[in-house]
Amino acid sequence: MIVRTGLTGPFPRPEALVAATRDLDRGRATPESVEEVFAATEGEVAALEERLGLDWITGGYLRWADLFRPIAETWEGFTVGPLTRWFETNTFYRQPILHAPPERAAGAILGRLPPAARAHPARGGVHLPGPYTFAGLLDNRSGETTEALVHRLGRLLSEEVRELAANGFATFELSEPLLVDRPPEGALAESVVAAYRAIHAASGTATTIVWTYGDSALPAFPLLDRLPVTAVGVDLAETDWESIPAAPDRRGLGLGILDPRTTLVEEPAEVTRIVRALYERRRPSLVILGPGGPLDLLPWEPATRKLHLLAAARQALADGAGGAR
Amino acid sequence: MSRALFPAQEIGSLMKPRWQILGQHATPLDATARAEFDAENARTHFADALPSASEALLAGRAREVGAEAVRDLGALFALRFLETAGLERVYDGEARRIEMYEYPIRQMRGFQFQGHVRSFDNKYYLKAAVTDEVRLEHPYHVEEFDFVRRHARGEPKLPITGPYTLADWSYNEHYLARQPGWKGRRARRAAQREFVVDLARRAIRPTLAALIDHGCRVIQIDEPAAGTHPDEADLVVEGFNAATEGLPAEFSMHICYSEYRDLLPTLLEAKRCSQWAWEFANRDRDGRDGYEVLKALREYGDTREVGLGVVDVHRDEVESPELVADRIRRAAGYLGDPTRIWVNPDCGLRTRSLEISRRKLEATVAGAALARAEFERPRR
Repeated sequence: MIVRTGLTGPFPRPEALVAATRDLDRGRATPESVEEVFAATEGEVAALEERLGLDWITGGYLRWADLFRPIAETWEGFTVGPLTRWFETNTFYRQPILHAPPERAAGAILGRLPPAARAHPARGGVHLPGPYTFAGLLDNRSGETTEALVHRLGRLLSEEVRELAANGFATFELSEPLLVDRPPEGALAESVVAAYRAIHAASGTATTIVWTYGDSALPAFPLLDRLPVTAVGVDLAETDWESIPAAPDRRGLGLGILDPRTTLVEEPAEVTRIVRALYERRRPSLVILGPGGPLDLLPWEPATRKLHLLAAARQALADGAGGAR
Repeated sequence: MSRALFPAQEIGSLMKPRWQILGQHATPLDATARAEFDAENARTHFADALPSASEALLAGRAREVGAEAVRDLGALFALRFLETAGLERVYDGEARRIEMYEYPIRQMRGFQFQGHVRSFDNKYYLKAAVTDEVRLEHPYHVEEFDFVRRHARGEPKLPITGPYTLADWSYNEHYLARQPGWKGRRARRAAQREFVVDLARRAIRPTLAALIDHGCRVIQIDEPAAGTHPDEADLVVEGFNAATEGLPAEFSMHICYSEYRDLLPTLLEAKRCSQWAWEFANRDRDGRDGYEVLKALREYGDTREVGLGVVDVHRDEVESPELVADRIRRAAGYLGDPTRIWVNPDCGLRTRSLEISRRKLEATVAGAALARAEFERPRR
């Protein structure tokens, strides 16, 4: 069993950064002083990722206001709209408003990657919105159909991936909670497959992971099984793992083993038992262990405690029968 | 009790005046704070009831009187602010509260605060985990209510955070850990049910009972989290019923920024809820009728009162009385009964300046008067 571990999406801000950014908003701190705290914290997250042996380094994406903002603020055709609830959570994003067919601005993501991810691109993890979630959660006033928009965003994101891959980045993690919240059907599902075909092709030899979370992935499995990417990730706190189809899958299987909705740390033995069972059922080329959704639903301390489980689970799998690499 | 049609009520918090914030920190008032104090006192005479405290505050001796006396003044300020705007049901603008989660949780045992979670941009909220069985240290909001009862000229209406929201805004460790096996969706739901019911029975209910013993008769249970997980509407109801069963008071349930239809008809099982206090004005724009959802109550045959949000608390633009009257008219049409309508802001006005809040409340009352004149039918 080949096992990889890494973060899904942003990591929480520690209390010192919470205080610094609050002070900034209240006029009690300078942008320069807050920048220092950001840089130090990104370094801390990267060091933690290194120490735990995670396979890609993200630096936590602590500056990203939400999943869409780096694109909504840089690509043409967008404005940033009202605060909108992020699925069934008490966190919010500013809904991008698309006024015209979007056009990509070169370097939009590259310029906004955490320095820790930029420092060593080959080990840097790139976090991107998936085209279906992006198309479905924005306020589309462009006149394009959703299918056409998924196609277009797939093409634009593939250009982004191509640019980043050319800069040496080797891991792309696409956030797709909407795929399980509202699984697409018919022509829309086909547009999602086409979008990922473009993205994966643009990535060259890099790893592309579609992470679903926040809802059960079971209804979406027929589509997830068709996505031409390196691996598809599912949220095991939401998905009844015993019902995951037994069909062998030559791609990788991402398993969201850390539940970001509770501070209760998962039982390592239980985690390894489930991972082994799913490996036997699907025989994936690769098992990726990560959180079942971004850990920024937790405060810093509990998120850090949970992150240690990734390393522990990997070790336990390596120590067990058959081992893990 | 006979009331005119469309009485107005408070719904939540007001922004704290600058003089209160400075005074609580024993900081001498600056010219702006003093002018704010003087202008409002000239208008409502709110400080008349506490002359020595106000004198000390204005003389730069806030430390001498203490933060609690300054909060007393803040509560009086808010009471008169609401009463002079024409509201029948009033409270203290939550002058002593700074939020609606941390304070109640700190009155209980079984919780450990974990740190801050980002809500959006640079906004955060503090979150606790329940790590043991919930126990109430002592009933809360009681002294706050006693003060309001002593000083209110209108009818006091107390807001309190509901059990479902307290549970949803916490991490569930204790009850989840008791679930056998992998903590998947089924285990989480079962654990959440236990948590909500324990909070309702062990913490909220004794607090409500104590408040009622002190004369509280109108209580708004705030459940802003109700819309977060529509498939947990049954837990909202279970918590509400467990907290209020058999208690002799008039209870309302405040929910905002939610898709109410998704919560129906389950929500209607809240047995002792006599009023739905919901937000509507926020969604009544850009060609959308924000009140149409009230049709659903009629469809389900629900005949409870509605606390009708008629002004948007997230925009500075002040609604005209005519717009408020139009909103009331539409709501009455959808409900098929104007006598069930109370009017209020969508939610607490704490994010608006006091000047904007005052104008919005006055528009609420003036709009209700316009609508009342049209209906010309006395309320039972």
